[in-house]
Amino acid sequence: MRRYLPIVGLLGPSGALILVFIMVPIALTLWLSVHQWSTQTGFDTASFVGLRNFEDLFGPTSVGRDFRRAFVNTAVYSGLSIAIILPLSVLFGLLVYQTRVRGGEVLRTILFSTYMVPSIAVALVWSKLYSPTEGPFNQMLGWIGIGPQSWLSSPDTALQSLVYLNVWQQVGYFTVLIVAGLTQIPEVVYDAAKVDGANPWQTFWRITLPLLKRALLFSAVICLINAVQVFEPVVLITQGGPVGSTNVLTFHIRRVGIERAQGGLGSAMAVMLLLTLVVTVVALFALARRTNDE
Amino acid sequence: MRARTFTGAAVAAATLLFAGTALAEPVTISFLTHWPPETVAKLEAAAEKYKEANPDVSVAVRAVPFGDLLTTLRSQGGGAGGATIAGIYDLWLPELVRDGLVAPVPDTMASGVREAWPAGVVAAASVGGTLYGFPNEIDVYALNYNKKLFEEAGIAAPPKTWDAFLDAAAKLTKKDGDTTTQQGFGMINSWAAGVVHPFASLLASNGGELIADGKPALDSEPATQTFELYEKLIKEGYSNPHMATADANTTGPFLDNFVSGKTGMIIMANWWESALKAGMGDNFSDIATAPIPVGPSGDKPRSISYSWMTIVNANASDAEKAAAFGFLDWLNGLESGPDGASAMGDILVSMGILPSRTSDVAAFGDRLATPFLAGYVDVLADARPFPVVLGGQEFTEALQMQLEAIQFGQASAADAQSSAQADAVEILERAAR
Repeated sequence: MRRYLPIVGLLGPSGALILVFIMVPIALTLWLSVHQWSTQTGFDTASFVGLRNFEDLFGPTSVGRDFRRAFVNTAVYSGLSIAIILPLSVLFGLLVYQTRVRGGEVLRTILFSTYMVPSIAVALVWSKLYSPTEGPFNQMLGWIGIGPQSWLSSPDTALQSLVYLNVWQQVGYFTVLIVAGLTQIPEVVYDAAKVDGANPWQTFWRITLPLLKRALLFSAVICLINAVQVFEPVVLITQGGPVGSTNVLTFHIRRVGIERAQGGLGSAMAVMLLLTLVVTVVALFALARRTNDE
Repeated sequence: MRARTFTGAAVAAATLLFAGTALAEPVTISFLTHWPPETVAKLEAAAEKYKEANPDVSVAVRAVPFGDLLTTLRSQGGGAGGATIAGIYDLWLPELVRDGLVAPVPDTMASGVREAWPAGVVAAASVGGTLYGFPNEIDVYALNYNKKLFEEAGIAAPPKTWDAFLDAAAKLTKKDGDTTTQQGFGMINSWAAGVVHPFASLLASNGGELIADGKPALDSEPATQTFELYEKLIKEGYSNPHMATADANTTGPFLDNFVSGKTGMIIMANWWESALKAGMGDNFSDIATAPIPVGPSGDKPRSISYSWMTIVNANASDAEKAAAFGFLDWLNGLESGPDGASAMGDILVSMGILPSRTSDVAAFGDRLATPFLAGYVDVLADARPFPVVLGGQEFTEALQMQLEAIQFGQASAADAQSSAQADAVEILERAAR
């Protein structure tokens, strides 16, 4: 018994924090997801409804339609964000990692600075940049003969426009992660490739990218989690519109669970989000492990 | 004199009502609102004036954007630490009362409110016959049009019927290739009330209702015609949805386009005056107000109205509740404002908002007689109150989705109408469970 005391002593504080602030809320959310409950009342007012909340999420009513739309929007937003941010961060990472090139440090600082700007400020500024009539983006496009774009004003382009905003803000952070990954690649490997006559293109595909796999996997997971949590630009600029095209899950859960006080439904949505995130992250790691084995 | 006696008695009664509490102890109450900074400053000035006579009561004003008001109320209002007083849209009241968040107005004050406000406004601030707050603003929808653009298009007068409305919209619309440089009629998207209230106003002016006898009435013939009107405005290009986006502060491109003379007509409420003045400066004089055009099934110009009220947190301490009701009674009473008006009336009128207290409407007669506001005062008598029902906010958001789907060509008028009615039935039934 005594030999377990140090373990309990060392793990206890952090374990207790995880239990109180993570496990209990998750358990509570699971419990609420099978109840009808107004978030403004005590838990004692919750009434058990079985799986009805989940049936509603997949049913034909506006509850189900809006949830599925928000789910798809979140998936598209996350997928596009990862698909754009990771290649860009590798590109920028390779650029700023070239210590022999002057200005690399400055470029790294500039890239990272966008990550430090508060999201609220970013959202407000970008909403003006995207303005269809007076916005600088459309004015600049006009100089090169391209007509005004609808940006946030159209359901066809609003979500993409939010993705661009996210890319601008996040790419610097992921560039730093990639640079950290590049520093882990031994120089001797590049020397060997050079001796074997590999050109830069082959070096990149055969050495750099494979050896960056861990950094890329970590980046992909963090990027996914960040993207799924998108909230500020939606609440500040688009309010989920137009036609629900930017209604993402965090915003929708807030609208259902808090604005409408439908705590049971909101919890069921949160459970679905959690399950999806867990499955996706596990799948990502499994994929990475499989490619490692190969 | 009568008002002074009433106010004094009401404050005393409120103090007695919350027995065991003593206002002699300093108490700080908070007032949650969505008003802009200049209006918040006026409210703070009123609170300072109140403090002169009531040194133990301090009022801290907290302002959030309109888009965050209900969320803030929901997330903070449930506990004792939530705002003591909050300005709310009446539509939210039934659910807030159901959840026990709102303290009823003490009987002694409630009788005064029933005497001083129109019965319809008092009814909108009540649930099950119990009054839950002090009514303040009333908003009504009317047609706003740009006189300068009308003149350029050769239109002599604002449209009185839907046919004339469509004709004016056609004449006001200008295009450069595929690009709309000026739209005849401006719709709104991404803002639930901004989308639904103009639609409901046109529906009312076509003899229809959103909800009749507690049941959704979006499957009526007047509703069919109103959905079709929206579809026609879009298909003919008289309204460009890409010029219609709103943000959380109820501003954005739709406002920019109207104030910069790129939109000929809109349907909007009177509180819009301050936003127009801020955006247009001297050009505000180009804007005029007219009744909502009458549809083929309508008998006369009608509109919709909605009201706001200030409520007190049911979970606040007794001392805070007593102080809050005392302050609200004074703020809405006849001694707090200029020339026999209430301070609340003065604050509202400064934003171009119609006060709902009968004596305030009379006291601010000159101010409300301006060309812009007079048009709203004129249509108020024939305005139908926006239905205040359980599930009302969700109903509004569901209808918003269908109207936006028409705007962006994602649904036909018939499909949108059918979905809107089905959604509304399901939402109201679920809310009643």
